[in-house]
Amino acid sequence: MASSSKLLKLAIPLVRTHGFSREALARSVLELPAGEAHSEPLSDSAVSSLFGEGDKARKNLIEAWLVDGVRHMQKAEAESTSAPPTLRDVLRTRLQYNEPVLAQLPEAFALLATTSSNFHFVDPLPALHHAGRIADEACYAIGDKSLHLSWYTKRASIASVYTAAELHQLVSPNTAYAFLDSLLDKSAALSNSLGEVSLFSSYILKSWQGIIKSQGIL
Amino acid sequence: MLSSSTKQALRLGSRFSRPATHIARASCARASTSAPSNPPSPEQPRTTSFGFRTVPEDAKESLVKEVFDSVASNYDLMNDATSFGVHRLWKDSFVSGLKPGRKGPMKCIDVAGGTGDIALRILDHAREKYYDRETTVDIADINAEMLKEGYRRFKKTMYHNTPQVAFHEANAQEMSKFPDNSYDLYTIAFGIRNCTSIPAVLKEAHRILKPGGTFACLEFSRVTNPVLNSLYDQYSFSVIPVMGTVLAGDSASYQYLVESIRKFPPQPEFAQMIRDAGFATGKHEEGGAWTDLWGGIACIHKGVKL
Repeated sequence: MASSSKLLKLAIPLVRTHGFSREALARSVLELPAGEAHSEPLSDSAVSSLFGEGDKARKNLIEAWLVDGVRHMQKAEAESTSAPPTLRDVLRTRLQYNEPVLAQLPEAFALLATTSSNFHFVDPLPALHHAGRIADEACYAIGDKSLHLSWYTKRASIASVYTAAELHQLVSPNTAYAFLDSLLDKSAALSNSLGEVSLFSSYILKSWQGIIKSQGIL
Repeated sequence: MLSSSTKQALRLGSRFSRPATHIARASCARASTSAPSNPPSPEQPRTTSFGFRTVPEDAKESLVKEVFDSVASNYDLMNDATSFGVHRLWKDSFVSGLKPGRKGPMKCIDVAGGTGDIALRILDHAREKYYDRETTVDIADINAEMLKEGYRRFKKTMYHNTPQVAFHEANAQEMSKFPDNSYDLYTIAFGIRNCTSIPAVLKEAHRILKPGGTFACLEFSRVTNPVLNSLYDQYSFSVIPVMGTVLAGDSASYQYLVESIRKFPPQPEFAQMIRDAGFATGKHEEGGAWTDLWGGIACIHKGVKL
């Protein structure tokens, strides 16, 4: 028996032709297997009943598409010749997932950032959640074993890199992958520099502790 | 006595001589299948709830009818008095959320809709918002007197004597006069909790809806906030029966109405019953499969036949 989650999955391929729209959701029933498929799209009230009224239904479709994107990242893990895959491969796979619907993405992200309340302000939480989810999945895919503070810094770094690359992709799809590579290189260099600064700082601190102890202050 | 043309419009069947009841939403109370896990034996007749009491299923119809007979003459007044008129807002919200007529004419059925208040809102919404004069509503109610009341009310409107509205005397649990796959929208407001077997009502709703058709139910439900629930309980069990005594001279019937609300399944359970009947729903949470109104005092459940 078909369910609303099944219809959401069937609607995802329709985003290419119908965008993140209620029409795509309504037409999902036409894609059901033979015997279950409807002859007409769902009515507007049926779409509202299953997926929410107005833009809430569209947001549900966008959310389903984003979740499917995370699953798509796992393809990089499966297709990788060297296990685990590199961070570059995983993020490239996710950017590739955007390509068929690039024209619809700016509107989709704008809709996610719009609050449903009467006060119109930009809500950054969906964007942060989107980037955080991709960073987390990427870390899982590459087998990252970071702990404590580095667990957070690693994910924050990947989320920043991916967000910048995705924004670049929206305006210049052809150079997005090169831009991603350069960001990853810079990120790695920055990470190395920070590590060296941190190590040098710890030496300085220990030296000062030794000097203070030798003076009999402590 | 109704004229022949009126009879044709009403299509009321042959049970016109039932006791007068002027209460809306009491359209189903015939014994049917309930509690399938507990098959009846000759010694133990099937039972169902009647407020906080447990009664034989066969007795519920007459008991419910007695209640509604008792409160009938003052029901509209009491509805407005006990809810401070909020039930009208809920009904408006219920219908506007369905957007009848938005994507063209719809064939609708309003069950337990004798007084026609939901049907009238559907037709008005389609006409005023979408210039739609082709959407039709069949009003079904078990009580012929209620249908008369609805028919009388519709005489004041432009829909009187048009193909847009028809009245049918029918039991929500046995809608055999309505063919399979024939409606785009099925509504039932403040009626399903008075039915003996909710699964039977849902099963019939699923049968008569077209694939892609929408089931929508407005009903009193459970208040989720404990503080509000405590206040609501105090109001329901202390104030409403007293108001029933003062305004209608009958506290026991209003006590039943309050109790029947408490016996109705909570939102998640009713949503599961809707799915068990074969409907698809939204996510199993508030805002998905159901929408609470005023913290859960009333609730809108929707399902789609796929």
